[in-house]
Amino acid sequence: MEPIELRHRARRAYELGRARLGAKAAGAALLIAAAAVALGRPPELTALLCAALAALVAALAFRGGASARAVTAGLAAGSGAMLAPVVLMTAGCSMFGPASMRFCVPACVVAGGVVGAALALLAAREEHGAREFLLAGTAVAAVTASFGCTLGGAAGVVGMALGTVAAGAPVWLAARAHR
Amino acid sequence: MDRGARAALQREMCRLADGDRAAFEPVFAALWPVLRAFAARALPVPAEAEDAAQCALIKVFSRAAEFDASREALPWALGIAAYECRTLRKARSRRREELRVPPEPADERTSEDAAIERDLVAAAAEVMRGLSVLDQETLLAAGRGDRESSSTFRKRLERALARFRKQWRARHGAD
Repeated sequence: MEPIELRHRARRAYELGRARLGAKAAGAALLIAAAAVALGRPPELTALLCAALAALVAALAFRGGASARAVTAGLAAGSGAMLAPVVLMTAGCSMFGPASMRFCVPACVVAGGVVGAALALLAAREEHGAREFLLAGTAVAAVTASFGCTLGGAAGVVGMALGTVAAGAPVWLAARAHR
Repeated sequence: MDRGARAALQREMCRLADGDRAAFEPVFAALWPVLRAFAARALPVPAEAEDAAQCALIKVFSRAAEFDASREALPWALGIAAYECRTLRKARSRRREELRVPPEPADERTSEDAAIERDLVAAAAEVMRGLSVLDQETLLAAGRGDRESSSTFRKRLERALARFRKQWRARHGAD
């Protein structure tokens, strides 16, 4: 094999290896979606969100860098946030009407806050690409958490997003200032 | 590889594992000669050593995304190369066992047959001398029965045979 051909083959092998990493991340997204369906979320909506999440995490993992490192953190944080409203529902909380506003939407906001704070702390520890880590991690966590927060409708998702930003921003700023 | 080069390889390998495509060239440039030399020491046939080194290099890059930065890059890559060499050696010994044939029947050739065979062997050797070293090694390996199942070897053998036929036709006018 000529050196140029060998170099091309090595490069292709490397890119395929990264694609395999992306496929693994997409597989993790499928598992989370399966868990959401098993916990009673509607399959159609979950499939739609799962497709978006799988594409997002596969692309980020393939790309590499801080955004790839954020995939695992984002999926873990998002899964935790996803479970909060689902657990509340299992505990008997009503998802619609006044009870929804009393428990479930605030639960989404709190879960979003925890996600935002956790990701901001992790991002601040990154040597390079902290912003990239934070953005990618937040995007992954938001889509993952949506599996559960859509229980509270659009208000649940918006609440979770607001919680993420409201808690994440000060933690991020404080952690950066501390460094 | 000296200490500085090892540290540089480790750094570049970590970058590559992290997805930094700019680290591809430095890793390639650092690893290829090392893997080639390693395979040449591990395998006696140069063509086989070259194939093993190429396979090892491809595997190293294929697994680069999963490289654990806490491990040392050079031993990791050499481990893959050692595995490739071992696999090739095992495959060769397996082929030899399969190719063990019963003894040939008694030679019933006449002295004229023997003279013709001697002439043919001499003519083939002359044509072989006109080929490159790699082609000669490939044809000899195939002749000995050391055929690999890899597509790389098959293609190399096809090319060597085509060049052999071309030279033969140029010297003797027929296949």
